[in-house]
Amino acid sequence: MVAASLPPDVTAPAPSVPYIETQPAAGVSADLLSTDLTQNRIEVSSSFQGAKVILYGAVFQPEDQPSDVVVIIRGPQASMRLIRKVKAGAVWLNSRPVVFEGAPGYYMAASSQPLDRITDFSHRRLLGLGLDYIAMDTSRENKVVTRYGVKDVVVNGIEDDYLDWRRAVIRLKSKAGLYNDNPLGVRFVDKNLFRAEVTLPSEAPIGDYTAEVWLFRDGQPVGYSEKKLTVEKVGFERFVYTVAHRHAWLYGLACVFMSMGMGALASRLFRRG
Amino acid sequence: MEIYLPIAEMSVNVWLMAGLGVVVGFLSGLFGVGGGFLMAPVLVALGIPPSIAVASQAGHVLATSTSSVMSYGREASVDYRMGGVMAVGGIAGAIAGVEVFRLLRLLGQADLMVAILYLLLLGTIGGMMLNESLRALLRARDGLPAERPKVKRPGWLYALPYKMRFPVSGLYISVIPPIAIGFVVGLLAALMGVGGGFLIVPAMIYLLRMKASAVVGTSLFQIVITTLVTMILQAVRNHTVDAVLAFILLIGGVIGGQLGIRAATRFRAEQMRVVLAIIILMAGLQMGFTLFVPPEDPFILAPTNG
Repeated sequence: MVAASLPPDVTAPAPSVPYIETQPAAGVSADLLSTDLTQNRIEVSSSFQGAKVILYGAVFQPEDQPSDVVVIIRGPQASMRLIRKVKAGAVWLNSRPVVFEGAPGYYMAASSQPLDRITDFSHRRLLGLGLDYIAMDTSRENKVVTRYGVKDVVVNGIEDDYLDWRRAVIRLKSKAGLYNDNPLGVRFVDKNLFRAEVTLPSEAPIGDYTAEVWLFRDGQPVGYSEKKLTVEKVGFERFVYTVAHRHAWLYGLACVFMSMGMGALASRLFRRG
Repeated sequence: MEIYLPIAEMSVNVWLMAGLGVVVGFLSGLFGVGGGFLMAPVLVALGIPPSIAVASQAGHVLATSTSSVMSYGREASVDYRMGGVMAVGGIAGAIAGVEVFRLLRLLGQADLMVAILYLLLLGTIGGMMLNESLRALLRARDGLPAERPKVKRPGWLYALPYKMRFPVSGLYISVIPPIAIGFVVGLLAALMGVGGGFLIVPAMIYLLRMKASAVVGTSLFQIVITTLVTMILQAVRNHTVDAVLAFILLIGGVIGGQLGIRAATRFRAEQMRVVLAIIILMAGLQMGFTLFVPPEDPFILAPTNG
């Protein structure tokens, strides 16, 4: 069979790693913040139409100091391929795809006030706070590589246009409801008690999510807390997905039998009826 | 009622999808075509990733074609031998097509190729059919006898070796042309995600000059075999068959298909050919149109899976 000699598929769900190694810098304490999610496991069943999770937390501070909270939710990271439409004569053609790596499949930044009022550019960039600072990469040098068994995939070569492409990724993902900046998404319900809503659309990727919560005071990160959130298929959805990937031949045959069987059944029923 | 699709990883409205299945199935039954060329563009417009739309609607094509082949089989108008020979080429073509489609998708050119093929093939075939069937209609209106098709078969058909007898089709020809036609149709079918009935029927009529009564049943039989192989290959190679989506579409499809077969008896063949020609032409032009329209957003995300 042809199938055996070709490179393996890349459809297996990528192991999800939180993108940024959040090494809390000096002066950042884990004791100032206590947070939790109303759910840490979201089950995707056949009735799944998206989910809403509430993150809530408390700030412990001895004296009344004004502080700000930033909540970053990152979904499982997956490489993305972006194509640009280019005009050739009267016709719109596709450019070669550019591969972006390291961008999360879901991203939400919620904060108690606009990020630029909370902290400066270098902190936002370092910690990846806000859509403008999501770390994603086409590798630095111009590289033409073999990827997924296809030769000559351009991984970069867009140095000059990098920002255009990057903005396009964010625009397209935002449109799909997968990227979201919410400068007023963290609400203090009481003096030291806050909450933020996380809305996952039905297209949200399956996998492990992290919820990072940063406490800022005078523009400096002083507290940090992290929680895990898992989105996984359950029941029938999980069964179908697993069979489709682990027993692809069986799955294909089953689909064929189902289709032909229903066709045959219909033909028979309608003849008699 | 919304339902989450396990492979497409999104939720869709069940009634909308089943309704689409009924409408496309009805047209398939009415005109004796697979209907894949109508369904794929609609699914994509509804937000289903193209690769999953193409692979999953194979279930719909398979179900409606199986159901029709059984109906035609009872009237002994299926040339199983001819269908089998064509399917040999068809399977090879489908294997090649699935691989080519995979490469094109990785290069980000799959949707472009699909649009071009739709424009060229559907545009040409729809145009030719429209022209021919309108002429036939006009002649009938003027009371002239129907134009007799040129029955002389091309000489090369008989010059080739490996001859075989096809009694149901009324042919004694080499197996090479049917295999070659099967291959081309299988290749294009896999690329466009269609059964290929709109390609194979004209090829049978105009190239092979098969007996007219055997054409539709035989083409459907060959479509069943090719689609079956394509669907398994898509499941194994690309993991793009969504069983839930396929099921919803085909339930609607078989019901619509049977209704269409009944409705077909009420219309005259020439009139139906005009309507079918217009539908094919429109589908081709509509897809081709996307080539010339400035895109809303110059960037698009390409699927990464597969």
